[in-house]
Amino acid sequence: MKPIIEIRNLRKKFGRTVAVDELTMDVPEGQVTAFLGPNGAGKTTTIKCLLNLLAPDAGEIRVLGADSARLDSAAFRQIGYVSENQEMPLWMTVRQFLNYCRPMYPAWDAAFEAQLLKQFDLPLETKLRALSRGMRMKAALLSSLAYRPKLVVLDEPFSGLDPLVRDEFVRGMLEMTGKEGWSVFVSSHDIAEVERLADRVAIINSGRLQLDEAAESLVARFRWVEIVLGTEAPPPENPPRNWLGLEVSGRIARFTDSRYDELELDGAVKKYLPAAKQWRAQPMTLRDIFVALARTYRLNGSHQPAEGNPSPAKDI
Amino acid sequence: MLPFTFIIADGLPVSDQLEHAVRKAIFTGQLSAGDIFPSVRTLSQELRISPTTAHKVVATLRENGYLASRPGIGMVVRTPNLPERSERLDYLQPLCRELLREAGDLHLEVEDVVEALRQAAEQRGSGRRPDAAIHATEAGAVTPKSNP
Repeated sequence: MKPIIEIRNLRKKFGRTVAVDELTMDVPEGQVTAFLGPNGAGKTTTIKCLLNLLAPDAGEIRVLGADSARLDSAAFRQIGYVSENQEMPLWMTVRQFLNYCRPMYPAWDAAFEAQLLKQFDLPLETKLRALSRGMRMKAALLSSLAYRPKLVVLDEPFSGLDPLVRDEFVRGMLEMTGKEGWSVFVSSHDIAEVERLADRVAIINSGRLQLDEAAESLVARFRWVEIVLGTEAPPPENPPRNWLGLEVSGRIARFTDSRYDELELDGAVKKYLPAAKQWRAQPMTLRDIFVALARTYRLNGSHQPAEGNPSPAKDI
Repeated sequence: MLPFTFIIADGLPVSDQLEHAVRKAIFTGQLSAGDIFPSVRTLSQELRISPTTAHKVVATLRENGYLASRPGIGMVVRTPNLPERSERLDYLQPLCRELLREAGDLHLEVEDVVEALRQAAEQRGSGRRPDAAIHATEAGAVTPKSNP
């Protein structure tokens, strides 16, 4: 299947600051892709470039098969976009806002609009200005889902939302389930928010792509390992590269194994920590994996790709 | 609301856990033949999981004969015969491994574990039921261990 978003060598600078650096990635159709990274990593810049809200300095982006620099109104009718800093006509009431949006989309589904209104418990006669942040985000989501877009792009949709509103937001978004080829691209600085939703996880740090992988494969290959040593021993000098964040304290050694294989790990433990008495490997949540990786990127220097390897993530 | 018990455990593929929970609900009678099974959208919304995951699980369950599509209704539950004893024993494997690992840490042998199980069964029989909570580890936590 053709990717719904293709990004090739995207580069964007603001003055001397490189916001996005040689970013190449695909967002597959029919899946939920989480685009993660700390604040300031380049997520919003990437999203603005792919929606033609910012002009890239270099690189190519195709969205729904078309060059993003030439996205026309027909393409935008197939894209729903909600951003943390959404500009909305605050002087309008919810009703006026929806009346204003409706004519722009021939595919606007009035029944779906009514259903979401009820589900989101939005007050029609209140001005957007007077709504809480959560309510306003729900109004924005409603206006971006009612025409049943094929691609939904969400930029930090959950930040500052209380857990209940966040939950309603996710449920509302999942109302779209069942639409053929429906795809979601959602950015967040907090993986916990999208942990179970994401089919695919892409991590960006300092403008560079660090990882781009199916969530199930990540969960399968990462393990938190704890080793009990028979006697106190110093940490090995050159531990395997897939042992992230190795720490030895007294008779306990701990690390994150990024290429878990039971037999291989057993062999490596015997080789690098001969004093080991026993070990155990526990599955990790995406959140724990994210934290372990983020720590590793920081230790390795955020702007330093692995030697001769344009994509440092491939090594981890 | 979902018509079967499902508590998501951390760090394991949700699809495996969900499939396991549904099969278990069918064996234990929480779901019985002819019951309407939730749609992909309902599963996805109730559990806040990706539609792809929900779809995958429904497809697998259908392939294995636990669900059948009924036009105009959606998916309905089918109850295959009680699976072979060996298959049912397989369900216990992850818990057994967990138990043995714990026992190993305490320097206890398999015989000691069997004794502990007997004790627990007796207590259960005499009405002193151990904590009734069903722990999510049964979803298939595999925690290997070695004693070099």
